[in-house]
Amino acid sequence: MGRPTSRIALGAALILLAGVLTACRGGDTTTDASGLKTDVGVTSEPCPEAVDKNKGCIYLGIISDLTEGPFRALAVPITDAQKAFWKRVNTAGGIGDYEVDVTRYVRDNKYNPQTHNQVYQEIKPNVLALAQSLGSPTTGAILADMKASNVIAAPAAWTSAYAFEDVIVESGANYCIESMNALDYAREAYAPKSVMAVHLAGDYGDDAAAGVKLAAQALGLTFTDVKTDSGADKQAGAIQAILTGRPDLVVLTMGPADAATIVGQAVARGFAGRFIGTSPTWNPALLQSPAAPALLARYEQTAPWNTWSSDTQGHRALREALPGVTPNDGYTAGWVWSYPMRAALTKAVADGDLTRAGLLKAVTSLTSVDYEGMLPATAGNYAAGPNDGAVRVTAVYKPDKASPTGVSQVRDLFTGPTAQAYRLDAPCYEKL
Amino acid sequence: MTELIESLLRGLGTGSVYALLALGFVIIYKATRVISFAQPAFMLAGVVAVTYLSPAVGFWAAVPLAAAGTGLLALGVERTAVRPMVGRPAFVVAIITLGVDVAVRVVVNAFIGLDVRHVGDPWQLRTLPLGPVQMQQRHAAAVVAAALLVAALFAFFRFTRTGLAMRAAALDQEAALAHGVSVGAVFAISWALAGGLAAVAGTFAAAGGSVDGGLWLVALTALPVIILGGLDSLPGAVIGGLAVGVLQELVATYANDVAWLGGNISVITPYVLMLVVLLVRPYGLFGTREVERV
Repeated sequence: MGRPTSRIALGAALILLAGVLTACRGGDTTTDASGLKTDVGVTSEPCPEAVDKNKGCIYLGIISDLTEGPFRALAVPITDAQKAFWKRVNTAGGIGDYEVDVTRYVRDNKYNPQTHNQVYQEIKPNVLALAQSLGSPTTGAILADMKASNVIAAPAAWTSAYAFEDVIVESGANYCIESMNALDYAREAYAPKSVMAVHLAGDYGDDAAAGVKLAAQALGLTFTDVKTDSGADKQAGAIQAILTGRPDLVVLTMGPADAATIVGQAVARGFAGRFIGTSPTWNPALLQSPAAPALLARYEQTAPWNTWSSDTQGHRALREALPGVTPNDGYTAGWVWSYPMRAALTKAVADGDLTRAGLLKAVTSLTSVDYEGMLPATAGNYAAGPNDGAVRVTAVYKPDKASPTGVSQVRDLFTGPTAQAYRLDAPCYEKL
Repeated sequence: MTELIESLLRGLGTGSVYALLALGFVIIYKATRVISFAQPAFMLAGVVAVTYLSPAVGFWAAVPLAAAGTGLLALGVERTAVRPMVGRPAFVVAIITLGVDVAVRVVVNAFIGLDVRHVGDPWQLRTLPLGPVQMQQRHAAAVVAAALLVAALFAFFRFTRTGLAMRAAALDQEAALAHGVSVGAVFAISWALAGGLAAVAGTFAAAGGSVDGGLWLVALTALPVIILGGLDSLPGAVIGGLAVGVLQELVATYANDVAWLGGNISVITPYVLMLVVLLVRPYGLFGTREVERV
């Protein structure tokens, strides 16, 4: 009787000990030769692909949609651009006595929140922060843990909820503000009287739709909300809603194939209005699709920053860092999203605290980020809070077969009156 | 009225795609008593093959070539993964086909690459005026292609020796074997036929649109179709497919938004219809009623 009980007690004690050891793994704070405090994901050994072998290494993880998810056409170039961005940082001398590695802990989330969490837990003990966490629903699955562990992340998504999260270092206008700018632009360009938001459910699509709704209210337009699902065979309802509702303008927030199905078929069946897609809706390959004539005639595209071929210092550096690639604005996005992480790491090193908590403190005290001209100089003010810190600029593009990314600029980065006046006091999708 | 007729015509177009997919499922089921969950992957493989072949040899040559290629792929899968399992419970083989589906789709996804692809069909989004109503050309083409293939299949089963052998094996494998029918060949032919049909169905599912990794989900609609029509009934697959296509379009046109269910009700209609039919006829509309003594 005594022996089994003691074995169980011993087993339990071992499991407990293992748990305690795992919990403590990498959690000890150390101070390096220069007096910099570090804890997880920072080593004195050089990075695997170090430029200068005398420098230590800061490991950042990347969790992206790399193989079979709906946003892989954007995610793969985003990831490649981030690798190129940090290589450029390392070549230019790194961050203090360290270089940054974003190649060792790259994981595929398949755009599945469960997978996202699983791979996050896998790499978490080895990384200081995440150079990329792709997707709103996927990042949502790890947000609570990130907050509890002080893990910061550069998102590859634009939901307005990120303005309220200290651990997320977002860039550019969120979907909500972007949609408001889309309506401000549309009012000037072709004065619609009614607008319909057709979008995927969740805080990605809902956020954009909420922006459309709020702007429609401000501008006195009739608003209709139509949710749809992902999949070319699931758009019949949305197409019918457009044909029945006959809005002057439809704002689309979904994957490219779905958007092409809706635009192509709605126009083929006699819809006479116009379309604007929010940023992830576009893919240059759509210009080869049967929907191309409809897209060329009726579709425009909003974007939180200017396209690949633009003439800013950042865009030039991006093109130099990625010679020979087929131009794609996934690269532009990955590059832009990396600037605030560089600023935060630089600030943390300057403050003498490169622990997770120190990095978080550095993020919350950032008042500006140097985007090398890719975003306005006021962008990156995380210290100012959600409303005052929100970036509110959007550019408008139209499909163009002659352009390398398949789009040409209709309007440069601007802030519309509705987006300017809007007070961001809660995530927009809560107001849909 | 115009709207109603146009919805019916669209429904017949999408229904034809479902019918072709369902025929593949039923042909395999009749021969082997197994529901092959690998059909969605074969559909995707076929349509991706068309996107590669179409620019090189043209759409009209690409479709039969891709169908033949997918048929061969299905044949290969049958010989390597399914044939060794003959005699094992059908459930086990069905699970193997699930694994095959995932494996084939992973490979095919790599061929899709990052951007969406296109089959290069000649119909695009053009319409065909039929008096006061408009029918999309791709829907008309799907109906014609399905009708031709169904007629060819029925002729094959009715008038050829191989067709007769397949019917015999479907009825009673041991008796067919005793009369010299090569049941192994029957298995192989059914898988190849199903693969070819899936490729053609996929092409029509992608005509007028784009091909991405999510297209395989279209093939899942064939599952309620075959349950509805009867697992072992070829006419059931055709009629079930057309019924589901038409019902889906009618719901999308007239009742897609139910306040307490939200939008996109048409997506679940095939499953609701299947449940209703199963409550009344547990073996489907045209399925064989099985009697088991206990």
